[in-house]
Amino acid sequence: MYIPEYFLPAVLLLSAVFGCSRYQWCGYDEKLYGYYKHCDIEKFRSSLESTIHAGEKDNRIPPGIYAEYGYILYESGRYDEAIEFFKKEQERWPESSVLMQKMIRNAQMLSSGRGAKGKDLL
Amino acid sequence: MKAPGKSLLSIFAVLLVSFAFGCESQQTKDLTRFHSANIRSVLIIPPVNNSVEVTAPECFLSTIPVPVAEQGYYVFPVHMVKRLLEDNGMSDTAMVHNSDPHKLGELFGADAILYVTIERWEARYIGIQTSIVVYLRYELKECKTGQSVWKTRQKAVYSSGNANSGNPAADIVAQTIMASLMRANPNYVQVAKQANGLAFKYPGPGIPAGPYGEKTKQ
Repeated sequence: MYIPEYFLPAVLLLSAVFGCSRYQWCGYDEKLYGYYKHCDIEKFRSSLESTIHAGEKDNRIPPGIYAEYGYILYESGRYDEAIEFFKKEQERWPESSVLMQKMIRNAQMLSSGRGAKGKDLL
Repeated sequence: MKAPGKSLLSIFAVLLVSFAFGCESQQTKDLTRFHSANIRSVLIIPPVNNSVEVTAPECFLSTIPVPVAEQGYYVFPVHMVKRLLEDNGMSDTAMVHNSDPHKLGELFGADAILYVTIERWEARYIGIQTSIVVYLRYELKECKTGQSVWKTRQKAVYSSGNANSGNPAADIVAQTIMASLMRANPNYVQVAKQANGLAFKYPGPGIPAGPYGEKTKQ
């Protein structure tokens, strides 16, 4: 197998950049930037899924990721799944409680057909 | 056909080394209020954009959660926050920035709000050189009191530098190529990340480690 001569320095550079990370971001910033650039929500959703899998593996899930993922599900009408992730966020990060409780309540209302999307979210 | 590829690679390597980051920062050093605020969570709201680049706010927003969270704070999901604000009639960022921090914080259950203003977000062309300039103001307000607890501003500049391979003709060609590549696709994200990294550096102009600071660091 041919390994290009810049391979090693590139790996070293990457590990220097990402090695000291507290959380397993898996390029969350690039994914979000990519979403704003190309507006591909499905791609954003599946890439967040991989961030979650990687973060759960070594218990280094970044703050906000469960909620961000849950919100994509929420926006696409998958309310029951969204609630699951809002609960995960709240459990892992108690600081998110106020917002997560509101989102869970909104999702429950919408799920049971009582709420109107985009109203009284906060 | 390996030789030309190699020489191109070495020109590229020389250029990469000669790329220069220029930065300057300004800060308020008194962190007394910051310490007494006992902040655990930070709500990052979309930035106010004073540059002419319309894509700057979203581009910037993608770069900011990582450095704040890595500092040990709970960071609210920035995209979700942006969408919720829009859905609740708060898509005018200047208006949101001027609203009462206490009320805004209460809506989300946040301890502090990070306000960022994009002052400059531009690519400048001088001769055959291209420079990307990002200039940002950051301010953290405690929600309970609405008081400002930390403030800084950061400029980052990324320039296509001077090639120096010993062959002046090749240098000019290389410089022109790199400058036009940057012009065609200016990488603001990297420059904004550089600015954020410097602004949040602590000790330095940044904020001390939050509740998820040192103890969980691997």
